[in-house]
Amino acid sequence: MKPDPQRVLEQTALNLLVDVLPNVQPRYRQTGLGIAAGLLISVREEFDRAAARRVEENAALRALFARGASVITDAALATRLREAAATRDESLLVPALDAGNRALRALLIELHAHVEALATPEARDLDAAIWRELVASAERRRLSSGAF
Amino acid sequence: MSDLAERFAAYAARRLPGARDVRVSGLDRIPGGASRETYRLVLHYAQGSEAIARKLILRRDPPGSLIDTERKLEFGAYAAFFNTPVPVPEAIWLEEDPAHLDYAFCVMQELPGLEASPAALLAPPYAQHREKLGAQKWRILGEISRADPKALGLVGLMQDVAPAECWRRELDYWVGVFDADELEPQPIMRAVVRWLRANPPPPAQKISVVHGDYRTGNFLADTGGKIHAILDWEMAHLGDPLEDLAWGLNPVWTNGTPALAGGLLPRAAAVGLWEAASGLFAEAAALHWWELFSCVKGQGIWVSSAHEYQVGKNQDAILAMASYLMTNSQDRAALHLLGRLA
Repeated sequence: MKPDPQRVLEQTALNLLVDVLPNVQPRYRQTGLGIAAGLLISVREEFDRAAARRVEENAALRALFARGASVITDAALATRLREAAATRDESLLVPALDAGNRALRALLIELHAHVEALATPEARDLDAAIWRELVASAERRRLSSGAF
Repeated sequence: MSDLAERFAAYAARRLPGARDVRVSGLDRIPGGASRETYRLVLHYAQGSEAIARKLILRRDPPGSLIDTERKLEFGAYAAFFNTPVPVPEAIWLEEDPAHLDYAFCVMQELPGLEASPAALLAPPYAQHREKLGAQKWRILGEISRADPKALGLVGLMQDVAPAECWRRELDYWVGVFDADELEPQPIMRAVVRWLRANPPPPAQKISVVHGDYRTGNFLADTGGKIHAILDWEMAHLGDPLEDLAWGLNPVWTNGTPALAGGLLPRAAAVGLWEAASGLFAEAAALHWWELFSCVKGQGIWVSSAHEYQVGKNQDAILAMASYLMTNSQDRAALHLLGRLA
């Protein structure tokens, strides 16, 4: 067995910070190296959850679209929501999951803008559900070293 | 690096008629300033019988940067506030012809021995002066807001704006940055933008100079807790003074101390100091609008930095880092201000 990528990224960052950085000059290159090491640690955190958070989010968005299709008043948008809700993640490779996620999040923006203009109780409930998903999406992407 | 020193010395010789033996020593690129390459140097020359050694800062445009700005505006802001209650280093030369150093650049007076880094300022020996630093920081911002842009000679150099149009101009600009640069859809920020458009703030109380990036990290202080200079006027413009106040209150600048604005003072104290110094009033709903806007502007900067790095315009790790660390934080800050995230 070989060391897992998380361990490799973490240890490489540590080696850069402890062994290499103190010996680098000039100062701006030292700062740049420190930033690069920090970046490896962030990438390590992303690596752990890369596929999981995308699969989870894509499923959550499809569920919202399935629900939204029966709530909204725009027939064309409702059709697109049903079509998007019926899609599946065909591959677990991150670029493929990202492509799907980008399409779904773009459609979420359209749905949210549409729902905001509706006053029915179902639309208000859907609006609240969309906000819960937006909060969840921010939590999924949270990094331990983030600024807030 | 030595090539840059020689080329700068040649440039300086042309700018200093009568100067002899012009040379540069100690050229050293210094960290920070993702939107400009920044160098420290000493310019030596003889003038008459006097031997002169001037400590200078050279700020040169990089091929790609975090922020697209007009260096002429930045230079103009430094020049306008020099020797006023708003401390700034002396602006010496602005050169927009790339023939001299490949890119446009400006030259400023160096203020040696001072600290700007938030991490350093919030640690010993500076940390014991946290309140003193905070008090000066917000009072100086009040002075910027109080200043008359016309008297400073900045109207004309900076684009004028009607009080009722400040919010729209700024919001349109940063939404345009999303449209041009976002690598992925931004559903949280797009919802914030819709809210901002549906709930516009009142007209600005006055048109002020807006620093544009007024936060801990963009001033220089000594170990006794005195602020000597406000830096990084790259996004300076005319507009609603609440924009600057709100930017400084953005949760992403609390530097790990969410209860302290800019990591220095409680929010109410910061706002009170700004009001007293500016003679203006931070009405709650208007300030809330500008605070939410500051999240849109912040995200515009992070989206732009990610784009520059991704397309290879600028491969400085700080752009990728800014995108990794700040994009989610900015979303979370917006959700927090909307009352949707504790």
